[in-house]
Amino acid sequence: MAGISFKNVVKTYDNGVTVIPDLNLEIEDKEFVVLVGPSGCGKSTTLRMIAGLESISEGELYIGDRLINAVPPKNRNIAMVFQSYALYPHMSVYKNMAFALELAKMPKDEIDRKVKEAAEILGLIPYLDRKPKALSGGQRQRVALGRAMVRNPEVFLLDEPLSNLDAKLRTEMRSQISKLHKQLGTTFVYVTHDQTEAMTMGDRICVMKDGIIQQFDTPQNLYDYPCNLFVAGFIGSPQMNFIDATVVEAAEGGYALCFGETKVMIDREELALYVGKTVICGIRPEDFHAEEQFFHGSNVLKAEIDLDEMMGSESYLYLNYAGQKLVTRVPARYAKRTGETIELAVDLVKVHVFDKETELTICQ
Amino acid sequence: MEKKPSHVRTVIAYIVLIILTFLCLFFFYILIINASRHHSEIQKGFSFLPGTAFVRNLKNVLKDANIPVVSGIKNSLIVSSLSAAIATYFSALTAYGLYAYNFKLKKPAFIFIMLILVMPTQVSALGFINLITKMKMLNTLYPLFLPSIAAPAVFYFMYSYMQSSLPIELVEAARIDGCGEFRTFNRIVLPIMKPAMAVQAIFAFVSSWNNFFIPALVISDNSKKTLPILIASLRSADFLKFDMGKVYMLITIAIVPIIIVYIALSKYIVAGVALGGVKE
Repeated sequence: MAGISFKNVVKTYDNGVTVIPDLNLEIEDKEFVVLVGPSGCGKSTTLRMIAGLESISEGELYIGDRLINAVPPKNRNIAMVFQSYALYPHMSVYKNMAFALELAKMPKDEIDRKVKEAAEILGLIPYLDRKPKALSGGQRQRVALGRAMVRNPEVFLLDEPLSNLDAKLRTEMRSQISKLHKQLGTTFVYVTHDQTEAMTMGDRICVMKDGIIQQFDTPQNLYDYPCNLFVAGFIGSPQMNFIDATVVEAAEGGYALCFGETKVMIDREELALYVGKTVICGIRPEDFHAEEQFFHGSNVLKAEIDLDEMMGSESYLYLNYAGQKLVTRVPARYAKRTGETIELAVDLVKVHVFDKETELTICQ
Repeated sequence: MEKKPSHVRTVIAYIVLIILTFLCLFFFYILIINASRHHSEIQKGFSFLPGTAFVRNLKNVLKDANIPVVSGIKNSLIVSSLSAAIATYFSALTAYGLYAYNFKLKKPAFIFIMLILVMPTQVSALGFINLITKMKMLNTLYPLFLPSIAAPAVFYFMYSYMQSSLPIELVEAARIDGCGEFRTFNRIVLPIMKPAMAVQAIFAFVSSWNNFFIPALVISDNSKKTLPILIASLRSADFLKFDMGKVYMLITIAIVPIIIVYIALSKYIVAGVALGGVKE
């Protein structure tokens, strides 16, 4: 078992494009780390560098204490699950799972024991003689997991393994992979562009953009304390509302963020530098409240509902307020319908403030 | 609802197909009929009915000391089989090299191979003969199949097939599973390439079987001659001994293996035509 550490790793392709400018990342032993970010952010490249499928242009990459920059994939003791599953089409499920063990010259009875053990866990026993093309997407996915499992790797790499599955199966496989992680007690590195997968599965999440790590923290911390505008917008669904607001000094002391008729009081020293300037005020959809106890005078906004989406237990209301589009999440019993006017209070404690130029968090 | 093809169209289509089939099969028919007729009968002209000299012609051909038919068949089989095997394996290997690896001269290498594709054999024949003479391979079978290692047309077919049917993730998965590069090719890539290999093996076999030009330049020993040369030498035989029945018989013998190969592998030939199209 082993952790992974990137030390000033740079990846430049032959055509001169640098996708990873300088990566420093410490993944601990037995940790489930999710690399998340939009397409082209370098998350897959990072994973492929761990696998040895991409060379490292500069810097050092360790698995445990071993420098693996020049170690070929087969000697890294890793297993990888691909987005397309990459099952060998001409081999049966059993052969697919046994292939790596055969190459490692493991005795036949032990291969048989291991394959059957993994097949048992993944519910693949009835399909062992089938070829991949005779399996459904979910079954193929499980074979791909099984193929990785039987090898007892030090590190498990998963490259968007659920993106080819339908929504229901995806939820099912998500919990299965999380369980597998606990069962195997191995380091997992998981790449996805889906923040729900990241939030539900990861011990820690590494949010990347343009090859640069934006924030590397636990899911809760990422959600509550995003370090910049990008992370704040990327994590959370529906995403955080960003409102241009002006900072003013409040008569009763402290500062206030003004947009439209609304004034959100924030008593934070960090805002002193921004008085009279425009900042970006970030409010999560669930931090708008229709309940009376949140109403403190000026923190209220009154707007017509553009669209309502009833989800059963709660409702998403899309508003247009002070020229800005907002989305709010309120309990179903407080919800109103499209065209009606609603009064909502902003939760003063949960407001995030970002610098408009640097996009970094000022206070939260 | 699907539109029913009109009656007239079907009739026309069948007539055209019947004419085409007739054009294809007529010559085989004539060949077999003539193989069963006497030289004198053949000279008289064309007939639809078979003659009585089939066994006699066969005996004449097999007996003729100047025309070693059995060794000719053997040589042709050796050369064609080895050509087919070498051409398909090494072309697939080359195509895999250019498909799966990234290296600096990848593009120029591809263009170079494509340039060879447009070069006629005749252009390089003189140099080729010089080369094999220096290599002491003149009058041996080696020059007939060894050059198949470099078969640009087969290479191009394999390359296109890989682009449509071999996801690079499979190769990467094999590498992670612990396969070396050659083993990845032999255990993972080759089985996936099977349909393409089969098609190209048939085409390579047939073109080598029919090849006259290079064997005619290289082989002089009777015992090493391949069938096309034997047929040619029989046709150009002494005027007095010239027997058309024998010529037709030898041609009949020469096409039997090809017919067997086609019938046995017709499934792959049809697939091969379809392979040229877009997959998925």
